[in-house]
Amino acid sequence: MSAMNASVRLSLSSLRAHKRRFAGTFLAVFLGVAFLTGTLVMGDTLRAGFDTMFGNATSGTDAVVRSADAITTPGESEGVREPVDTDLVTTIEKVPGVAAAAPDIQGAGQLVGRNGDPIGGQGPPTLAGNWIADPELNAYQLAEGRAPQKSGEVVIDRGTAERGDLNIGDTTTLRTPDPVKVTVVGLATFGGEDGMAQVTFTGMTRADAEKYLTAGPGEAASIQVRAGPGVTQQELVDKLDPVLPKGVEAITGQESAEENTDMISSQFLTLFTTFLLVFSGVALLVATFSIHNTFAIVVAQRTRENALLRALGASRRQVTASTLVEATAVAVTASLAGLAGGIGIAAGLQALFPAIGFPFPESHLVISALSMALPLAVGVVVCLGSALLPAARAGRTAPLAALRETAVDTSAASRLRAVTGLGLLALAVGVTLSGVLVTPSLWLAGTGAVLALAAFVALGPVASTTAVRILGGPLDRLRGVTGGLARRNALRSPKRTAATTGALMIGVAVVSLFTVFGASLKATMDQTVSRSFAGDVAVSTPSFGAGGSGLSPRLADAVQRLPEVDTAVGLGRGVAEVDGKGRALTVTDPVALERTFDLGNVRGSLRDLGTDGIAITEKEADKQHLTTGDTTQLTFTDGRQQTFTVRAVYGQSELAGDYVITRDAWAPHRTQDADTLLAVSFKDGVSTEAGQAAVEKVAGQYGNPEVQTRDEYAQSSAGGIDMMLTLVYALLALAVLIALLGIANTLTLAIHERTRELGLLRAVGQTRSQLRAMVRWESVLVAAFGTVGGLTLGAFLGWVLVKASDGASDSTFAFAMPPLQLAVVALVGLTAGALAGLRPARRAARLDVLRAIATE
Amino acid sequence: MTTTTVTRSAARVVDAVKVYGTGDTSVRALDGVSVDFPVGRFTAIMGPSGSGKSTLMHCAAGLDTLTSGTAHIGETELSSLDDRRLTLLRRDRVGFVFQAFNLVPTLTVAENITLPLDLAGGKGDREWIDALIDVVGLRDRLHHRPSELSGGQQQRVAVARAFAGQPDVVFADEPTGNLDSRSGGEVLGLLGRAVRHTARTVVMVTHDPVAAAHADEVVFLADGRLVDRMESPTAEKVLDRMKAFEVPS
Repeated sequence: MSAMNASVRLSLSSLRAHKRRFAGTFLAVFLGVAFLTGTLVMGDTLRAGFDTMFGNATSGTDAVVRSADAITTPGESEGVREPVDTDLVTTIEKVPGVAAAAPDIQGAGQLVGRNGDPIGGQGPPTLAGNWIADPELNAYQLAEGRAPQKSGEVVIDRGTAERGDLNIGDTTTLRTPDPVKVTVVGLATFGGEDGMAQVTFTGMTRADAEKYLTAGPGEAASIQVRAGPGVTQQELVDKLDPVLPKGVEAITGQESAEENTDMISSQFLTLFTTFLLVFSGVALLVATFSIHNTFAIVVAQRTRENALLRALGASRRQVTASTLVEATAVAVTASLAGLAGGIGIAAGLQALFPAIGFPFPESHLVISALSMALPLAVGVVVCLGSALLPAARAGRTAPLAALRETAVDTSAASRLRAVTGLGLLALAVGVTLSGVLVTPSLWLAGTGAVLALAAFVALGPVASTTAVRILGGPLDRLRGVTGGLARRNALRSPKRTAATTGALMIGVAVVSLFTVFGASLKATMDQTVSRSFAGDVAVSTPSFGAGGSGLSPRLADAVQRLPEVDTAVGLGRGVAEVDGKGRALTVTDPVALERTFDLGNVRGSLRDLGTDGIAITEKEADKQHLTTGDTTQLTFTDGRQQTFTVRAVYGQSELAGDYVITRDAWAPHRTQDADTLLAVSFKDGVSTEAGQAAVEKVAGQYGNPEVQTRDEYAQSSAGGIDMMLTLVYALLALAVLIALLGIANTLTLAIHERTRELGLLRAVGQTRSQLRAMVRWESVLVAAFGTVGGLTLGAFLGWVLVKASDGASDSTFAFAMPPLQLAVVALVGLTAGALAGLRPARRAARLDVLRAIATE
Repeated sequence: MTTTTVTRSAARVVDAVKVYGTGDTSVRALDGVSVDFPVGRFTAIMGPSGSGKSTLMHCAAGLDTLTSGTAHIGETELSSLDDRRLTLLRRDRVGFVFQAFNLVPTLTVAENITLPLDLAGGKGDREWIDALIDVVGLRDRLHHRPSELSGGQQQRVAVARAFAGQPDVVFADEPTGNLDSRSGGEVLGLLGRAVRHTARTVVMVTHDPVAAAHADEVVFLADGRLVDRMESPTAEKVLDRMKAFEVPS
């Protein structure tokens, strides 16, 4: 026990003595833990906020009656449900224990603000529905004005009113998507807040709602039910169940609120959690390298001290333990600081959101035990795990080492390492290539990518010698003996050079990976549009999220009538189960579609799809073993099944979708009609400008959606990618910062080890500036090695990701290497090297020549 | 300046005082030493531990600065020079041989020899360096690394480097301290030959009477003062003189 205390004492005193050395380690662990904590706290807080809000808003609703089944298409979280019959309301009202019931008609409706721009629609839904008269059943509470009484009158939520600068008495347009002229007669709140986050809501009369939001009267998304006194929610549901027809279910108000909370908080959180978690992951990954390296250095430096301890009778375990205690101290300190930092991040975001027009439900920060324990555990485990090997090495120190000069491991990489590394690399390339080229599989490619990473780490020391020799080649000539010395210093301890650059390599690799992937995505979008879009202009709704109400199907007809226009084709979206799986259908005029989009090789004919014909892409047809003339079953959201005959199989799908049916075929099953894209081609001789102006004029009457030329359309499709890349560069900055500290650490240590040598150099005439330059160049060389390694790895992984996505998904991915961005990444890496060398160089230059050369 | 010297001095110190620390803990390592090292002579500085012999050498060579008094290399007064000029002066006009850590481990023998010249960015006198390599007898080792040489060989490389730039004066600090007697003898012989054959100046700090016997003259230091000088020393004479210091006072 007292022996243990001795090792604890030793480690703590050594920590105090070398605080600065642990700065890099501390920062890496701190950031990783902080981002992780921030994510968790933020998630809990948001959930709690939404819980309260939904609880308040729907407290009067005890049960919700709706269709049991939902059809979910791939890539969508929320399914589409069949509407329920409003006649059920009378049935339900008769059930004993029911106090009130009201149909809830819901659809998409986007309001146009005072300045003519639509409000919202960039992600969160834009909802419209009937204003439920019973205030307890209505999730929205009237705050000002009155409820809508006649056609054209609406109540809107206050948040939306503020965003669109609308007031009671104002008249504006509601895109359903057909433009409807509405007058605001009231403002509402949701669960005590100005709105349900960024969701916009418009409440209209039931007649208006039925007219504009549903296919016909008598349909509602759900029926809200309130229980009489003394009846619990569950009792109410139990009473309702027997009277409901097949396919219709009742759930408690609480369940409904929870579903809503889940839906909206996941929608909200996805962006932020993904971003924060990636940051956290990168920081922790880089941290493992930084920690391992720092401890390896500390242990190497303390060889004599440890050997002396061993010679004096300390056991192997005690020496190992003292290093681990040190690691634990760093881990716990950094993790605790990280927890505080994470809470700070969450608090900051909470304060930031409202400031950028993002209503955040009022709530105190929710700090759960899990969101504290998990990051703490991760931080400590990562730190201890990374320090394990160096600690074991410390324990293995031979007592005899006390008698030798401070030994620096200058051994070149072992043959075993080279062989293992090369084997790993070969395996990685093999697995990856087969995952990419032979049998496309993201899993196989992913495994290959991880193997490649492992191979790079294993091969680091082997490669560092050659790489530094080549990279530093020009230094001898350019910088004379200073450059030559720098190069040879970087070559001194290949293992250390490799370990030092590990963090930088990973950081640069991650960023290059994203850069390459982002550029490829952009190229893909560009290629998709230029290949399959034969039109001149496109009218589209925002490309990200399901928000907005879409385009009025009548817009296509109106544009078609323009004298400048050759073909205008609107693409609507339908949902059905094909072969038991939810699929998105493209609802359009197939003939016009073929004229404006390049569908590739078409077998059969798109001309006579009629009401029972369907056109399918080759890929889908092959998957389901269908060919022209075959029949397939479609199940629509209204529960009806219909047999369709495959009349055409076409080659390309990117913009046109995989399944095409006519508007006539879709009509019986439609809910609220909307087009997602209108493609227009002009007659010969009509300039794009003139045509665009004409289309814009017509579009103005339909809620003013954006009219884009082909190029603009392609670019806007890729708009989100630039945002992603901006985040990635923030990530680069983070990784580079940590790596920078790591390089500085190693250099400082090296300078400490080379005190005598530096003193000698100064004594025989190396000037201070020459000495500084020598250290800086060494730093740049080391960074160059890491940067080049990272770029290579990142570009390779980017290629793998693109190719694997290409092989594994239905759409075609293009691969693109953005030379400019990658050059910037390389420059940042090298600059980091130069910066990292500054402090150690200054320190080295301050060295007292006499102390350095003094013998003992 | 009352000292009249027939010969020019390569290096000299006048009234050199060096105090380490302040107040009660201060130590006067040099206490008014005046000595000059004439051109073309091999001078040894001797004295017991703590006598200030290393401090004297460091100050005379421009590695350390005096508290008061002056140090000169040739006609250049050192206290007026900033760090950069001192460095350039060491590079161009002074050579060093230390007890250990004399060579840069990453450079080859040839590169170590020409290091000061390379740092200066000049070519140096190729013939002179060529001759030096033969004098120290390392022609077959030119492309070896220091770690592949014996201690004696390493010191011979250091001697070659010290003379490579044809300096005014070479300072040697216990150059044989880490060597066995045979290797030490070789290195000392080398220093002696360099002085006599090429008219160079060497100042050597040592505590070994046998090493001092290779010098033309020995100056004795005790308690920071110059206490004695001896022309044409032999090991026995030096040893006898040294024994006098050990008498408890």
